[in-house]
Amino acid sequence: MPIQRRQFIAAVGGGALASIAGCSGSDGSSSGGGSAGVAGETLTLTTTTSTYDTGLLDEIHGDFEEMYGVTVDAVAQGTGAALESARNGDSDVVMVHARGLEDEFMRNGYGINRRDLMFNDFVIVGPEDDPAGIQGMSSATDALTTIAEAEAAFVSRGDNSGTHTKELNLWDAAGTEPSGDWYQETGTGMGEALNIANQQGAYTLSDRGTYISQRSEIDLTILVQGPIEGGPEILANPYGIMAVNPGVHDNANYDLAMAYIGWITSPGAQDAISSYQMNGEQLFFPEAVSEDPNFQQYVPEGWSSDSSSE
Amino acid sequence: MVRLSNVSHAFDDETIVENLSLSIDPGEVVAIIGPSGVGKTTVLRILALFLEPNGGSITLDGKDVWSISEEQRLRLRRRIGMVFQEASLFDATVERNVEYGLRVRESWRDRLRDELWSVLGSNGTPGAVTEALELVGLSEKVGQEARSLSGGEAQRVSFARALAYEPEYLLLDEPTSDLDPRNTALIEEAVGEARDRGIGIGIATHDMHQAERIADRVAVILGEGVAEVGSAEQVFENPTDERTAKFVSGELVY
Amino acid sequence: MPVESAVPLVPAVVDLPFREGYVRSIIFVSLYVSVTAVALSTLFSLPVAMIMGFADFRGKQFVKSIINTGMGFPSVVVGLLVLFTVSNQGPMGALELIFTREAMIMSQFVLATPPITAITLAAITGVNENVRDAAHVLGGTRLDVALVVIKEARYGIATAILAGFGRAISEVGSVLIVGGNIVSSGGISKTRTLTTAIQLEARQGQYDTAMVLGTVLVALVLTVNAIVVRLGDEGAMR
Repeated sequence: MPIQRRQFIAAVGGGALASIAGCSGSDGSSSGGGSAGVAGETLTLTTTTSTYDTGLLDEIHGDFEEMYGVTVDAVAQGTGAALESARNGDSDVVMVHARGLEDEFMRNGYGINRRDLMFNDFVIVGPEDDPAGIQGMSSATDALTTIAEAEAAFVSRGDNSGTHTKELNLWDAAGTEPSGDWYQETGTGMGEALNIANQQGAYTLSDRGTYISQRSEIDLTILVQGPIEGGPEILANPYGIMAVNPGVHDNANYDLAMAYIGWITSPGAQDAISSYQMNGEQLFFPEAVSEDPNFQQYVPEGWSSDSSSE
Repeated sequence: MVRLSNVSHAFDDETIVENLSLSIDPGEVVAIIGPSGVGKTTVLRILALFLEPNGGSITLDGKDVWSISEEQRLRLRRRIGMVFQEASLFDATVERNVEYGLRVRESWRDRLRDELWSVLGSNGTPGAVTEALELVGLSEKVGQEARSLSGGEAQRVSFARALAYEPEYLLLDEPTSDLDPRNTALIEEAVGEARDRGIGIGIATHDMHQAERIADRVAVILGEGVAEVGSAEQVFENPTDERTAKFVSGELVY
Repeated sequence: MPVESAVPLVPAVVDLPFREGYVRSIIFVSLYVSVTAVALSTLFSLPVAMIMGFADFRGKQFVKSIINTGMGFPSVVVGLLVLFTVSNQGPMGALELIFTREAMIMSQFVLATPPITAITLAAITGVNENVRDAAHVLGGTRLDVALVVIKEARYGIATAILAGFGRAISEVGSVLIVGGNIVSSGGISKTRTLTTAIQLEARQGQYDTAMVLGTVLVALVLTVNAIVVRLGDEGAMR
């Protein structure tokens, strides 16, 4: 009798665990629309925190979900992690704004069917009294050099995010290596970094979207504009989207990923992207739909048919 | 009848008992007496079928207890009850304490049903519990928290707990050592009652006078494996071993 | 759940910039994940603690030191380990548990088990040996005796469960890594908990909102503790 009891308890415990594990997978996909094949499925999309935090995806995904009767799980991870997840096959489609890393991703065969998606830009912000005197400079690299020479406080993301990567590229292009107490790497998200810069009266590089959403709460102003407002091209921030290669991960939801890419680069969705506003300002500028498509969007930058093989 | 035949037991190198032969019949009280620490508890544990002795055999109604399966032995053990020196009541009501022995003997189906009923509060007190509590004079405490009882009351509840499931044999390990005279008397009365109901009782005590009061037969454990077993009369009035005589007359053997 | 139904009061008291049902859904996910993890952990830890308390076996000291190490084990490392396990590339990849509540339950299970086991073990070994002997002698099987011990140690065990729950529901790092902090486009949480929602707000620099969510979390924990303590008091005052 005691042995029976023990087995009974073990069976109940095992059954509970198994039934909970069996509950994974898609839940709550919307009814309606429902193209054949993908209906009821879940698309996992990994992207950066700054992209996600603008709220754009939450705003537009509903249309896609309804159209196909699917669910989109948007995971905000940060550029590096988003690509790593895609590399591991934990996501089906990846949306980042770090061209260099996207190119590497494609070269290594993890991502295919890349499309240019949209762009916005970066701005250099700082305290109103502008101690380093960079206000209105037309060269971002000159502005950074000036800040370095003045040893004015500067806050860096320090986290290999898209923003941080751009910042490092700028320092590189300026030929200056930032070091010293004035240069602080925080390892935080953009919003927090802005807060820290605000508290310390420091300069920082920010994507325009996050700055706009924070503007009412901080005292930093834009001192060097991005290309959207006439500033230098080097501060452009283009977004790309890629599908995870089903040849590498056969359980990647390729059909749904392609449906998503098709949808988000379609005129309808691109319009929705340009209509999206935060605090009364447009955040993203669509570039997928064009009379004269940029062929460089499909391949790693600089690739030509003369260069090396498949 | 539970019988020890030529039982010997030693812990490490120390011999506790040697060649002890002892039996308890239903309806009799056997006192196991001797100085504190001499091994009375060990003898009781052997009698309760918890301790396998190094040598000799134990039979219950003729069946050798240690040559059968653990499951069969458990069934035999369940016919025996035991009360310790410390009451060791569970942190629950008196009723839950006393009915424990009944519960563990139920089939698991019945037990589940009874547990559910008592959680829902719609159980009456089992008859056996009421009876056992009456025997020790604590009927009115049935719903009280066991931990709030006095030492004497707790020991009496402990006695009722061992009695509730009507064991054939009851072993008591110095049950009244920590009690005042009144509670001691109540326990001794209950022992007598139990004996009259046909239960075979073994009681370990270092109090000779208690043994004189209630025992039918006596086993005197004197240490180093020596013991004398006989009727109460014989042991107290005509002991065969002179150490017994000394112990009985109040002189410590050591 | 009783706590969940009290939550509609929250948006009424404070003006939060969220869609209808958002806060409720993240509270639900927090509770669902943590309560499940703690329940499973208790089912696992109780027998383990019983064995540790009453049996002797080789490697017992080793198991004890694992439990003690587990108490202070950095939770975010647990998250990484679970990530490696459930990732598509990992041994359990085929189950597709990445970015699900089940993966979060796994990591909270790993975190809650050491404190629950250790405190339960202390409670169980604190039970007087005589009580155990009594249960045995009265005819109890090993299982009966175990149940008696558990009942005797019930207050200590409740403390253990509360400690495990506290650790689980406060978890941020590991549930973020394995859960992905996902919310549906309709504003209903899939794998976002109170803690990861707080982290999200803080990341965006929205500290005020983060603080409000933090208050909700603290209130939740206090409520759960109060309920359990109250049940215990009622038991003691019987």
